[in-house]
Amino acid sequence: MRLRRSPLLLVVVLALAACAPAASPSVAQPPVMKSVTLLLSYQPDVQFAPFYLAQQAGYYRDAGLNVTIQHKSESDLIRLVADGQAQFGVADATDVMISRTAGIPVKYVSTLYQAFPVALIGPKGKVPTNPADLAGKRIGTPGRYGSSWAALLGVLQAGGLTAADVTIREYPQFNQVDGLLAGDVDLITGFRTNEPLRLAAQGMQVDMLKIDKVAPLPGPGLIVGDALLNTTDSRVAEFAAATLQAQRAIAANPQLGLDAATVVVPAIASDKATALAVLKASIELWRGSGAQPSGSINQAVWYSGYDTMRRLGLIDGSVPLSDMTFDVLSEISGSPAPS
Amino acid sequence: MKRLAAAVLSLAAFLVAWKLVTVVTGTPAYILPAPEVVADRALRAIGSGILWEHAAVTLSEILLGFAAGALAAIGTGIALGKSVVVERVLSPYIVAAQSVPILALAPLLDIWFGGGLLARVLICALIVFFPIAIATMVGIRSADPLLAEMLRSLGASPGQLTMRLEIPSALPVIFGGLRVGVTLAVIGAVVAEWAGASSGLGILINIANQGLFDTPLMFVALATLAVIGITLHGVVVVAERRLVLR
Repeated sequence: MRLRRSPLLLVVVLALAACAPAASPSVAQPPVMKSVTLLLSYQPDVQFAPFYLAQQAGYYRDAGLNVTIQHKSESDLIRLVADGQAQFGVADATDVMISRTAGIPVKYVSTLYQAFPVALIGPKGKVPTNPADLAGKRIGTPGRYGSSWAALLGVLQAGGLTAADVTIREYPQFNQVDGLLAGDVDLITGFRTNEPLRLAAQGMQVDMLKIDKVAPLPGPGLIVGDALLNTTDSRVAEFAAATLQAQRAIAANPQLGLDAATVVVPAIASDKATALAVLKASIELWRGSGAQPSGSINQAVWYSGYDTMRRLGLIDGSVPLSDMTFDVLSEISGSPAPS
Repeated sequence: MKRLAAAVLSLAAFLVAWKLVTVVTGTPAYILPAPEVVADRALRAIGSGILWEHAAVTLSEILLGFAAGALAAIGTGIALGKSVVVERVLSPYIVAAQSVPILALAPLLDIWFGGGLLARVLICALIVFFPIAIATMVGIRSADPLLAEMLRSLGASPGQLTMRLEIPSALPVIFGGLRVGVTLAVIGAVVAEWAGASSGLGILINIANQGLFDTPLMFVALATLAVIGITLHGVVVVAERRLVLR
């Protein structure tokens, strides 16, 4: 059907145009929201409270970001972030070193845990303080991979030992707590924020050999794919800054984080005391030796960790450390982020 | 000869389609490695000995788990087939055991049975048990009642009836269960390793995927499992051809 030119139609259009409000430069346009996907490992949990708070309190929205949060296995999330199917992920620094060496183009851009969260855990009074005394012990760990395995090898090496000097028992379903309670192992690897509380709930008081005291390794942080990092896209800096803002808010007032996590994981409401204890323990790890979470990448710890990983044979050193990290918060502030 | 040619052509078509997908989609090797990348990694894994080291462990778990599961299942299946009372008593437990996700049960079995080879064989046998037991029960009941009556009239004992009539006539159905069971044994061994083990192809998959971020090596382990499954299935088929009268 052909439209016929009509003088009447022309008059109507002109009249409507005259009635329309004139565009004014003084009227603020709503910001264009950029959609990004964040991949977290494990499952929704109070330890991810900064992301929940940043989303619920509008820190991401104020930064112009529309964030979708999904949970994947850590090995999958690193690949998906590298491939650009997601923009951000949270991963262990040790896994970033290994995956980068394996040719997966991701970089660690901001630190979430300034202290390394894995520890060797055992019954009170039965955890050696000297790594050399681990010889002959039966140690439970999820498997011969991941940050727990790297940490265990690092501690053994610090004591002049190898995996052959202890008995390793694998718990691929992360149920090493059951093995310790059953007496099948003397010690387990676990997160300082989780396993001690789970064991205490079962009536076992524990001691810990903290990894970062004997074999410093960098903790988990934000990762980004090279493709996104190589653009002028400001989403990386905005996301890291908004997440840090949430971490600091929770460090100042843990109840904020607990409330935000309860919205996402309603089951937390049934045992808020335990969740708050986990959160407070997490805050200590976020801070490390600093007064508050800084997001900054501690180059000294990364150098030490890189060297440890090389000596353990977990990386071959073919990819330099400088290709593995990009301290995005230091870059936007123009100077190293305060620790 | 024709069968072999068809198999080779089928494999070639599969490899070409796989290669095309990687080229057309441009998927990076850390997500979907091309077949020649996997082949190269396989050669290196064979050369270093790592593949055989893990495959030997899984193969032993599969063979022991399948043998134990099949023997128990055939014995139970015969009892179920011959006795309605036994069926009524045991069936709820057998069905319940099959309905519980073995993935959830496996870590507990691993702890209860000491986390060694025994626990892994048991998990494997549990997965194998159900299809073979049910097939045996159905097979035993499919024996010709007229032939059974004739044997009884000739004075055959219950044991002779079972050995001479019921088991031979049940063999085609039992072998159907064994064919399913032997492929499930492969899955059972991997599930058992994921519940707790130091070596085996399931562990190699975990190490390659989560520890080394070596996707081609993960594909090598998966392909090895597939080859083991196809080979063992073929062995059962050959045994069936030899033992079952047609």
